Amino acid sequence: MSEQMVDRSAVAAQQPSTTASPRKEAGYVHRHRADWRGWKFMWPFALVFVFVFVVPIVYAVWISFFQNRMIGGTSFVGLQNYSRLFVDAQFWSSVGRVALFTVVQVPIMLFLAGVMALALDSLKLHGTKFFRISTFLPYAVPAVVSTMIWGFVYGSKYGLVGSLNDVFGTNIDVLKPSVLLAAIGNINTWEFTGYNMLIFYSSLSTIPHALYEAASIDGASEWQTIRRIKIPELRGSLAITVIFSIIGSFQLFNEPSVLQNMVPGNAITTYYTPNMYAYNLSFAGGQSNYAAALAIVMAVMTMAIAYMVQLKSMKEQMK
Amino acid sequence: MKRMQEAQRSVEFKEEMRKARKAEADRARRTISDEKAERRRAAKNGFSNPANPSRSIALTFVCALFVIYCLFPFLYLLVNSTKTQADFTSTFGLGFGKSFALWDNLVTVFTYQDGIFGRWLLNTVLYVVLGAGGATLLAIMGGYALAKFRFPGRRLCFAIIIGSISVPGIALAVPQFLLFAKVGLTNTPWSMIIPSLVSTFGLYLMWIFSDQAVPDELLEAARVDGAGEMRTFFQISLPLLAPGIVTTALFTIVATWNNYFLPLIMLKDSNWYPLTIGLNQWKDQASTAGGQAIQNLVITGSLVTIIPLVVAFLLLQKYWQSGLAAGAVKE
Amino acid sequence: MRNSKKTLAAIVAAASLVGFAACGSSADSTDASTENATGQIVFWGWDSGNSMKDIIKQFEKANPGITVKFNNTGTANDTSTALSNAIAAGNGAPDVVMLEDPTVTQFAVTGGLVDLSKFGADSYKSDFAQGPWNKVQYDSKPYALPIDSGPEMFFYNKAVFDKAGVDAAQIKTWDDYYAAAKKIRATGSYITNVSGGANDYQPFTAQAWQAGAQPWKVNGDNITINMTKDAGMQKYIAFQQKLIDEDLIDTKTTNWSDDWNRELNDGTLASLTIGAWMPVNLISGAPDQAGNWRVAQLPQWKSGEEVSAEDGGSALSIVSQSKNQAAAYKFIDYLTHGDGAQIMADTGTFPSLKSILSSKEFVDPTTASNKKTNDYFGGQNVNKVLSEAAQRPVTAFQYLPYNPYAQNAYGDEIAKAYTKEISLEQAMQNYAKNLAEHGKQQGYTVTLK
Repeated sequence: MSEQMVDRSAVAAQQPSTTASPRKEAGYVHRHRADWRGWKFMWPFALVFVFVFVVPIVYAVWISFFQNRMIGGTSFVGLQNYSRLFVDAQFWSSVGRVALFTVVQVPIMLFLAGVMALALDSLKLHGTKFFRISTFLPYAVPAVVSTMIWGFVYGSKYGLVGSLNDVFGTNIDVLKPSVLLAAIGNINTWEFTGYNMLIFYSSLSTIPHALYEAASIDGASEWQTIRRIKIPELRGSLAITVIFSIIGSFQLFNEPSVLQNMVPGNAITTYYTPNMYAYNLSFAGGQSNYAAALAIVMAVMTMAIAYMVQLKSMKEQMK
Repeated sequence: MKRMQEAQRSVEFKEEMRKARKAEADRARRTISDEKAERRRAAKNGFSNPANPSRSIALTFVCALFVIYCLFPFLYLLVNSTKTQADFTSTFGLGFGKSFALWDNLVTVFTYQDGIFGRWLLNTVLYVVLGAGGATLLAIMGGYALAKFRFPGRRLCFAIIIGSISVPGIALAVPQFLLFAKVGLTNTPWSMIIPSLVSTFGLYLMWIFSDQAVPDELLEAARVDGAGEMRTFFQISLPLLAPGIVTTALFTIVATWNNYFLPLIMLKDSNWYPLTIGLNQWKDQASTAGGQAIQNLVITGSLVTIIPLVVAFLLLQKYWQSGLAAGAVKE
Repeated sequence: MRNSKKTLAAIVAAASLVGFAACGSSADSTDASTENATGQIVFWGWDSGNSMKDIIKQFEKANPGITVKFNNTGTANDTSTALSNAIAAGNGAPDVVMLEDPTVTQFAVTGGLVDLSKFGADSYKSDFAQGPWNKVQYDSKPYALPIDSGPEMFFYNKAVFDKAGVDAAQIKTWDDYYAAAKKIRATGSYITNVSGGANDYQPFTAQAWQAGAQPWKVNGDNITINMTKDAGMQKYIAFQQKLIDEDLIDTKTTNWSDDWNRELNDGTLASLTIGAWMPVNLISGAPDQAGNWRVAQLPQWKSGEEVSAEDGGSALSIVSQSKNQAAAYKFIDYLTHGDGAQIMADTGTFPSLKSILSSKEFVDPTTASNKKTNDYFGGQNVNKVLSEAAQRPVTAFQYLPYNPYAQNAYGDEIAKAYTKEISLEQAMQNYAKNLAEHGKQQGYTVTLK
């Protein structure tokens, strides 16, 4: 998952609760006519955003209609890159891989994050502060470094896994193709659980104490408090963590590409994830046009999935 | 006459704000003392309150396992940065080597190749100051605009920003590169700084935060008072946004500090590399024909790379945690 | 508001200024008059010997008026990626670029590189070793000058071979090698590692090349791909399959990984067939085995033959975008053919210039750099063995014009044979199909056999 993903999931930190409506109806003056004052503040961001995001995306769409050949140069090919993509087995295998990754890794990571957040919030831990900061620390480590470290750990010959094998006389190889994806999932879980935990945790901290007291007076058990009060509160932030985790998983790149050279038997192919495939197509394969088409299809798919899963609820909050 | 009114309003207004802040601080203090008293009571009579329960050793133990999982890669890094290259390739990963070479490694990291690592460190700091700093500023202003104004195109801004998050970074990389190359910005610090200025996440964070932390009534009052939008922003809104700003800054700093893909594409002049790319180049050095393996330097360099962020996290802990919590505090 | 506007305006202005300044400086350097050959040239490449700075200093001293700005662009892959990006952008390419020999064609075909015969480089033909020279020709014209070369060698760990009771000096053919592999496997070590990853592509081409294989034939726009029916390929495939089936090679360790270094360092891997540039990597990667490693000529497919092959090797080219080609040529001439070549050789680069290969100094065991290497190799005169290999005859071998793609696809398709999912022959067939498909996409007329 890229830095961008890191960027994203924290979004939920400040996310408004679904229960309260912080924005009042009043407050927007001059509603009756166009109010351009907002642009005084918006334009710097908008300007850079257009230059760095919008123009490149439009450009990517444009070049996806062309093909550049070593023999024959550049020519307009219409939708040919797209039709080629739909029968490209390598592309679909990479999509299948990240889909599997998303379905398995994201729930595990968010479950762990949720449980950890509830534990911290319960105030039942000795040294809550220490727990909070240490689970969050992996977020400070660049993906290049964390993947390298885990790669050393995973080594079945010289890594920690290898040493454990020696001690227990086992023959575990976490880098063999069948479990490799899980090994990558673990790296991502390590990197982002604490981070998602913090988002859940801060949303839990918005619950007014009065509510707990009331529950306690009503004789609610600890478990009931969690189920009736805390978990519903987590739902709001869950929407956002899920969306951003999905987007992050679909863009999986840093971890497998750094790990590539540490894994035997070329188990991480050049088309291991859609992003790696796009990268290799455009940078080693000289097929930037085809890669652009791929990226656009992936973007559309990601948007569609994110929308189906949660975007609706997110949009409502943003109105 | 008008001026007097203005002055009076402004005084009232400041008064109002002071009150609000005081109330907030009082509330925080009350909560803390309440909790303390509660804990003392609980300890004395064994009665537990759900808001302030007694500590559980079992739960602590389970969570400790998770913390070990989170921290042991750091231990690995620390242990291995004390090894020489020879020890690194020949001794157990989580055990110490035959010699303790941490200081030698540190010295070598900063002197190898004419001390280029120091240059990389400075570059990274430059990118963070200008890139992350700028990103925070733009996010504050943009988020504030989205939260506090209904301007034409607001919804479009919103839709485009959300939509563009789903576009894979790689899709942007090639066109971004071509675009920057055409303007002649590749291989300059600007190719790293300008894209870093956009933090869609930061924008969102500040949007939510402005929405909650800056009461519309306050702005209304200032406007009626005749204060310009910019003055209102700097004198009234900005102080209220402080905790959110610290949090946003922290996240943009981490994103810039750890950015790998952008400089990988944009920069080919090692004098402008940030730490991540520099380290990766050192890592790959062993895989070029005739190149020397310097894994010990890569490991030690990695340690040096993450230390500033870890320290920043620890030092700013109070601020970003209160930022996160404050953002969520609602009356 | 006004203040912040000003600040932002200043930032934007500063940004564009720097941008223009960058344009300006490169324009200055490249517009310089070509007759005088002065000005600044930008040079992209890697610097494995850590010596580029000194060499450039020497060059600038010998050629006043020319300054060289060296950018260490990382690995060979990174460099060719960066170059193809800059060529695609039509802006920002260097004047001089270091490329791996087989990659040169790809850029020559698409017009990215300058034909060096216009500077008279074609007259250097007999000065360079045949292998590297042939690899940088496209359409019978030199598009690069070789800066180093990599005749494939047989490096072995004598201690491990002794333990297994094998006299490595007596390994003359691949059959001998096979017999030795069995004995070494019996001791628990492996004779070598092959995992079929992209990093094994170069050793693969070298060994197939040595077997006389011609998997790819390129003739203008026509490409013939023959991965499994070519006699040399069949020889190679059968041999590798035997090693895989009998578990005689370590298929789990990838070249250049940390595991690889460790296994070379602890004796798990007993030998390597790899380019002549390997000694430096061994000295730093396998320090514990100092004194144990030796080098010998590559085993032969037919006993009595002396056929060599090339693994790796890099060259310097001038990029078409360069506006200061005369100065650029002066620089690559200095580095590959002039005084710079000697300095490169002295700092550990394996030369491709015949005059250096056969010079007394090159094989003189008393020079500092030779002594260091020879000590590691148990007193053996390493360069003597290597230079002998470099001067052996090599048959012509053609790489595909889209070599970087071929290298990546190799890992995708061939690794399955080394994990025993499919036979190597099957994998080679898949590989051939993959390459043919890509060739067609690139506008070539491809014949798949």
